[in-house]
Amino acid sequence: MTIRTPSTSQTQQTILDLERTQSRLAQNQTRISTGNRLTSPGEDPAASASILELGSSIQANTQYLKQADTAMGYLSSSEDIVSASISDVERLQELATQALGTTNTAATRSAEAYEVDSLRTHLLGLANTQVQGKYIFAGTQTLGTAAHPLPFEDAAPPAGPINYWGNSGSIDLAVTATTKVSTNIPGNTVFFGAGGQGSSSDVFQAVTDLRDGLNTNNVALITSASANLQTSLNSLIKSQTDLGGRQAGLLNLKDTLSSFNVTLQGMQSNQQDTDYAKSITEYSNDQIAQTATLNVLGRTNKTNLFDYLA
Amino acid sequence: MPGLTSGLNIALSGLQAQQAALNVVGQNIANVNTPGYTRQRADLTSNQSQVEGQVYYGTGVSLTDIQGIRDKYLDLQIYRESAKLAGANERDSGVAGISTTVGDTSSTGVAAQIQAFFQGFQDLAGQPENDALRTNVIGKAQTMITGLQSRYSLLDDQRNSADQAVGSLVTEVNTITSQIAQLNQQVMTEVSPGSNNDARDQRKALTDKLAGLVGINVVEGSKGEYQITLDTGAAVLVSGNSSYQLQTSPGGAALDNHLRVNAVMGSTTVDVTTGIKDGQLGGKLDLRDNILVGFQRQLDQLAAGVARQVNQLHRTGYAADGVTTGNDFFQSGVANGATGLPTSVTATTFYKGMVNALTVNAAIVANPSLIAAAGVAGAKGDNSQAAAIAGVETSTSTVDTNGDGIPDSGPFDTVVGSLVSDIGTQSQTYSTQGTTQQNLVSALQTQRDSISGVDLNEEAANMMNLQRGYQASARFLSVINQLTDQLVNQFGK
Repeated sequence: MTIRTPSTSQTQQTILDLERTQSRLAQNQTRISTGNRLTSPGEDPAASASILELGSSIQANTQYLKQADTAMGYLSSSEDIVSASISDVERLQELATQALGTTNTAATRSAEAYEVDSLRTHLLGLANTQVQGKYIFAGTQTLGTAAHPLPFEDAAPPAGPINYWGNSGSIDLAVTATTKVSTNIPGNTVFFGAGGQGSSSDVFQAVTDLRDGLNTNNVALITSASANLQTSLNSLIKSQTDLGGRQAGLLNLKDTLSSFNVTLQGMQSNQQDTDYAKSITEYSNDQIAQTATLNVLGRTNKTNLFDYLA
Repeated sequence: MPGLTSGLNIALSGLQAQQAALNVVGQNIANVNTPGYTRQRADLTSNQSQVEGQVYYGTGVSLTDIQGIRDKYLDLQIYRESAKLAGANERDSGVAGISTTVGDTSSTGVAAQIQAFFQGFQDLAGQPENDALRTNVIGKAQTMITGLQSRYSLLDDQRNSADQAVGSLVTEVNTITSQIAQLNQQVMTEVSPGSNNDARDQRKALTDKLAGLVGINVVEGSKGEYQITLDTGAAVLVSGNSSYQLQTSPGGAALDNHLRVNAVMGSTTVDVTTGIKDGQLGGKLDLRDNILVGFQRQLDQLAAGVARQVNQLHRTGYAADGVTTGNDFFQSGVANGATGLPTSVTATTFYKGMVNALTVNAAIVANPSLIAAAGVAGAKGDNSQAAAIAGVETSTSTVDTNGDGIPDSGPFDTVVGSLVSDIGTQSQTYSTQGTTQQNLVSALQTQRDSISGVDLNEEAANMMNLQRGYQASARFLSVINQLTDQLVNQFGK
């Protein structure tokens, strides 16, 4: 059976096909020029949603990395201060040991008291350290209060005692969706130790006692201060270990987050990025089809009986 | 036995018939590019014989009919499918128009902006004492609000432009249906069935056009008249020689102040706004009243989720002074209700209007230190509330998607993900539907053309045949003439 192919229907189908080729060409051109496989969500709705969610996970991880860096900043500053305090306490112990030597006199002891007092001031300064405008050993009372602008204050300088006006609040930052890390260590924990203010682990009490013992040539007081210095040194080392441990944990976490992000980015790129080989091949194929169609269209008009009639 | 005069008559009938048939060829050739034209065929019939004794003598030829070669069932099918094609194309272009903006998956998309807002709180949690970070949170919130609102208003614009098209499409439909009714009249009163080819062709071209405008069902009656109803059967547009008008009237709040479409059938007026599925009109109405509204609803729900979660946490936190509490982060004008949402926005209406009502509390904009980053009173360095608000982003049950007032979704990015995938899926569906329907209509049209279209080769061959027939008849006439001459003038000389 022959099918009638009237003159107009030949061209109509060809025009429709040309239009489709043209739109595919435009689509591949956009893919190639933008580097995005998807020119609109309609091309692959599932992939679009997953690109979005992957993108959001990557962004979230990037933010967690940033948070981890912030936390590291505070933790390492705190650790620096704690280790400086440890050096001070070690020097104080040396001085105490020296002062307990039998050759010492009241005069030599009171001479040592000057250095001890300056170390006491230095320790107080360390305890009141500010990072980015906030006191790092004040719990959440980071800006102080109107009555007590500093976290550690000498109640009646220079006699003491040194009071703590911060709190024991913890400043936590989220470093994953479920994990939080505390970015601070309250000042009373660091400098007063487990026993609290005035106890054997209160470093300020120990250093004040040492100074007073030296000034008054009170060997018993110097002896007990020396023992207390050891207790507070242990407490400071404990804090240092704590801070170091948290940083090590964060470093691990940062590694994990970074490598997780690389994986996620790979997955997103698979869905999102233009497969250049494929797009370029399709583009050339369509171009060939278009040229061929136009050629044929040009010729169909020439195959007509009217051309052969005299 | 017939005489020479009879031969002259036969020759004459031959000449006349060939010439008339040539005219039909001419008409076909002239209309080769006329849309809706149906090729015509001249039906030549030999005349009644003359009987003499046992012998039947032929008396020539006459043209008895000019017939349009058509398949009416194919026509009816094409109307139906063209309407679906127009509907799918309309929906496809409507959704495609908003898909790249509303469904933006890049860093400028809604999801990224919401995330940036919550990360602003996360940054603030890192340093709640920092005023710059407080201002940053407000900036991020405003960017997010602008992002949501610009997309919402893009959807509004699309709906309004669809609405404007509804009015002009209705006018066009009315013009065409009244013309079809007039042509129906001509077809019904034609001399012999199927003889008024031109009226039928014009009617076909108009009905093709009508099907593009509005979804229709066409049935051909016993007298050849078209009976046209809307595709859902909600109203009659053309019946016999009368047409029924569509009209528009203000739709009020139920249609968001867009136009309602009514069918006026005599004294009764029927609301057919939901009774038109396809054609441009059906597509526009669907976009205006269903598809785009659906996307707007998802944006409203999303905005309500953000506002509710943030406000509920924010109002229990403490500002930078360590004392002020009970403030909402998002608040426009009057105070919010217990849920943390404006009292004008309710779950039963799927939080309609929430996107437009989303505003950062003016007091907070004026004084960023009012942002409640602290969870306990009097501790300026406490960041627990900022951290908790930042944590909302990844928590589940943030958005109420079913209108029962209880958040039931996954995290925000999942909600936006499902909006994007919804837009994508619809766009894909309509685009596939458009292509499929286009293929179907093309196939049907090719079929119709193969029956009804003009083939120039065929016409050229017919023309040659008829030309030869005419020439032969003329030659025959000349022979009879010579014979008559022989008889009248030469005989007996």
